[in-house]
Amino acid sequence: MRNLFNPRICGVRTSMLFYLYWRRLRSHLAQELLAGSGIAVAVALVFGVLVANTSLTSSAGALIQQVIGSARLQLTARSEAGFEQQRAAMVQHLPGVRSSAAILRENVSIAGPRGAKAVQILGVTAGIVDLGSLDTKNFGAGGFRFSEGLILPAVVAGAIGAEPGSLVTLLAAGSAHRVRVGAVLSGSLFGALTSSPVAIALLGVAQHLMGLRGRVTQVLVQPRPGSDQLVAGELRRIAGGRLDVAPADNELRLLDQAIKPNSQSTELFSAISVMVGFLLALNAMLLTMPERRRFVADLRIQGYDRRQVLLLLSFQALVLGVVASLVGVALGDVLSSAFFHRVPTYLTAAFPIGAKQIVHAKTVLAAFGCGVIATVLASLTPAFDLREGKAVDAVFRESGGRGETISGSATRTLGITGMTSIAVVTALVLIAPGLTIVGGVALALSTLLLIPAMFAGIARALPWMGDHIRSSALVVAVSELRATSMRAVALAGIAGLAVYGSIAIGGARGDLIRGIDRATAQYFGTADIWVGTGGDIFNVNRFEPGRTAAVIARAPGVASVRSYQGGLLDVGTRRLWIRARSPRDPAMVEASQLLHGDLTRTNRLLRQGGWAAVSSAFADERHLHVGEAFSLPTPSGTATFKTAAIMTNSGWPPGTITIDSNDYSHYWQTVDPSALEVSLRPGVSAAAGRRAVMAAVGDRPGLSVRTSGERDRQSEASARQGLETLAEISTLLLIAAGLAVASALSAAVWQRRARLASLKIQGYDSRQLWRALLLESAITVGVGCAIGGVIGIYGHALAGRWLTLTTGFPAPFAVAPTQVALTLTLITAVALVVIAIPGFAAARVPARAGFQD
Amino acid sequence: MSSLELREIVKHYPSGGGETVRAVDGISLTVSPGEFVAMYGPSGSGKTTLLLLAAALIAPEAGSVLFDGRDLGGLSEREGARYRLRDVGFVFQSFHLMPNTSALDNATIKLTAEGLKLSEARRRARPWLERLGLGKRSEHTPERLSMGERQRVAIARALVNEPRLLLADEPTGNLDSRRGRETLELLRDICHERAIPGLLVTHDPDAKELMDRAYTLRDGHLTDSVDSVEPAAIIS
Repeated sequence: MRNLFNPRICGVRTSMLFYLYWRRLRSHLAQELLAGSGIAVAVALVFGVLVANTSLTSSAGALIQQVIGSARLQLTARSEAGFEQQRAAMVQHLPGVRSSAAILRENVSIAGPRGAKAVQILGVTAGIVDLGSLDTKNFGAGGFRFSEGLILPAVVAGAIGAEPGSLVTLLAAGSAHRVRVGAVLSGSLFGALTSSPVAIALLGVAQHLMGLRGRVTQVLVQPRPGSDQLVAGELRRIAGGRLDVAPADNELRLLDQAIKPNSQSTELFSAISVMVGFLLALNAMLLTMPERRRFVADLRIQGYDRRQVLLLLSFQALVLGVVASLVGVALGDVLSSAFFHRVPTYLTAAFPIGAKQIVHAKTVLAAFGCGVIATVLASLTPAFDLREGKAVDAVFRESGGRGETISGSATRTLGITGMTSIAVVTALVLIAPGLTIVGGVALALSTLLLIPAMFAGIARALPWMGDHIRSSALVVAVSELRATSMRAVALAGIAGLAVYGSIAIGGARGDLIRGIDRATAQYFGTADIWVGTGGDIFNVNRFEPGRTAAVIARAPGVASVRSYQGGLLDVGTRRLWIRARSPRDPAMVEASQLLHGDLTRTNRLLRQGGWAAVSSAFADERHLHVGEAFSLPTPSGTATFKTAAIMTNSGWPPGTITIDSNDYSHYWQTVDPSALEVSLRPGVSAAAGRRAVMAAVGDRPGLSVRTSGERDRQSEASARQGLETLAEISTLLLIAAGLAVASALSAAVWQRRARLASLKIQGYDSRQLWRALLLESAITVGVGCAIGGVIGIYGHALAGRWLTLTTGFPAPFAVAPTQVALTLTLITAVALVVIAIPGFAAARVPARAGFQD
Repeated sequence: MSSLELREIVKHYPSGGGETVRAVDGISLTVSPGEFVAMYGPSGSGKTTLLLLAAALIAPEAGSVLFDGRDLGGLSEREGARYRLRDVGFVFQSFHLMPNTSALDNATIKLTAEGLKLSEARRRARPWLERLGLGKRSEHTPERLSMGERQRVAIARALVNEPRLLLADEPTGNLDSRRGRETLELLRDICHERAIPGLLVTHDPDAKELMDRAYTLRDGHLTDSVDSVEPAAIIS
């Protein structure tokens, strides 16, 4: 009778599979733990990077979905001044509309006892209940009534130290208001809302706080089934060319566009991390290979056939892979929340992006699968011993290395493929810069492909080196590397990939920071003092100037005061940064950011009116050249501008449009500034000028007074913070790679103790052996670093070109020798320092171990 | 002319259960220049310990091991290493060749450890490989050599520094009888030719007839001396 609970697979009982693995664990626990740790670290690295990459869009997407509820269309304002609430009321009565809700969304700051936080206030009506927006169905379950005061998500309340019932200060439109906190949203009932930078209030309250009585910025609309076209048409009629009609979730597309360059960079890093992770796991498994090969030989001697051996190997690999990968996913979760999860400030100024870490099932599966596949692939290497014609006990008679080496012809083929790949990448990105990301991954692969050839070159150089360097360590070290074994290639590959990724992405990041710093300095350099709403890095939040400008103008040391206007404008899939400068500004555009057009002429044309300087990505999208006209949707209808110059995006990925403030006032129908630019008289220091302006502004806590240097530093910090995740991934990648190389080298060295002992019997002393081991490690890591470094610099150049041409970022290319040197030193030092101790111990192996082989 | 002298040497090892294994227990033996002596015995009888003592890899608890009149028991690790590098040629059962390294470079390993340039070390190693019949296979790696050829590379490595003492641990263990006999004849001839003492540890019963003397070791004692054989003629 068949045993249902203990079936036979290929003639082996399931219980036997478990029993043999249990025996393996008991006899080789340390090796299995080492391999498992390697796989877990690899999976953690992959998982952490993938989660960091998807959380940004996912958390914002979750909030946007919560806000829109069941709405499918929206009517939106083209400026933060919004539109009349009566129009929103008209929407509800349009044919085909099932329900609608008017919303006022504005950027504000909230300050509490623990600090201040920039948030987006959502002024809502009872209409959102019909749409199911903001998880209103759960409000009752939350234990509070949706009525008065501000409703704050837990993350905001926590950051500013607010509690239900406490008073907080809301800074909006240049004014400060004391508002009571009605409730704090926490727990799983409210999903992404609890971790989003928003504040919810009744529409009337929000309008009062913003000084926008009777105005809204958005109407969410849920058409009846099949009425979407009809409703969209009706909405366009109401919009009258002055408002936008778009899908309710249009903000998701705008966000995707805004974070595209960031996502693409992170994707490249993710790809490299996946490769490093895969190699790490593979390496970890290779450490146990000699012992697994002996296990295979033992089984075959005892009568197991090939299928059964394969079954056993696969089963053991699967168990190890599954357990280690699960641990890796858990580790990666900690890694991503501790290091990678940070929302760039420049994005939160334009989108309500929360700090919620969102993990998709496919992310878990990708990381988990990567670990299991690497484990299974590596553990099947002993299956080479099952080939026809190979003696059952061949492993016991080998002098070492066989079956693990890469043949000379394979080395040549790989080298040629690597070089060809670099040539193809070069041609590809020259023709189509958009393919640079693919090229980046191909370059990473080339790094791996060239390593065996580099090892072969070093081995070939041995006679020359041996005649120039008298070193007992040299022959021993190089002989081990001569094998160009899979393990040595994998070790150097990890180092190479980490260095490549770090230098390519780190270099591009450095270019970007330098470019943005230069743009920022010139942008704020038009005034000595900036007066704005504070926390507003883009100068897009308008405020009631009252008599402030006139009072400042009379302050001691002040030469002139000019109104700066600006806002964010949704055009297609781009949330553009509109910058409107006073014609009296010394410069209308940043000289360093000019790509096409003459600086003097551009300044003159912009002051003249009707002209605009546009970002290259926007210009490319519209096929614009200098001198050509384009239309722009504005709150007063479609405006036509001529292109005065084509610029970089000044650090804002969707792009910028710079115009004269008179044009802005005309088309946006407002004279409210979003900042005041103050120029000081000659000889007046920035600090003295700042004090004088502060005194003139008086008691207006909603306004902040900062020197251009302070604004510059604030923006630079924001830009750096936005790119911080890349730096952190890069550093962690390097450290993980350094440790992986060191641990794998250590284990490999440890397995060679018998051979080291034999060298001792031949007359080598411990110091000579230690030197040989360190030299071997240095060469292994050095090969990886050298190839990774050279290809990394090339990748850096390509990435810089891509940033400038495809994304429109300011990224002047410059090799950073210090960064390259630091990267190489870091990974080599970590590897050598870590291997020095086990290497020392291995070198002190008693010579009699040579007899125990 | 150097000789190896073991005088009343004692070496014990602790074993499981608190017992002590008397690996070598008061053995005295002299191996004269040009003499090749075999040591038989079952596993654990102390044969390898004897080799370790002769190679200054361990020190005796009592007695003394003298080579060329020098007491090896008092050598530091570094002095011991220098002694093995310059004075001893050691041949293993499992060869211990470096993988993926040519036979020639394997043979140079002791010379480069002495600080010779690689080209000079190769120049000195090549005649030994030729003499051992590996002249045309000197660039082959161990993986491409037969077991017998690997053993000859190991012998070349042991002899390339022109040692004054030859020690061999089961050098025929991995060879067929014909190759084993050839190897032993070679080692014996080298001892005779160069007038150096040689000590062989083996299980190979056929070795006796090729040896100048042969002993059996049991429980740490030289229990009997196998019939002496006539010293083979020294090759001039």
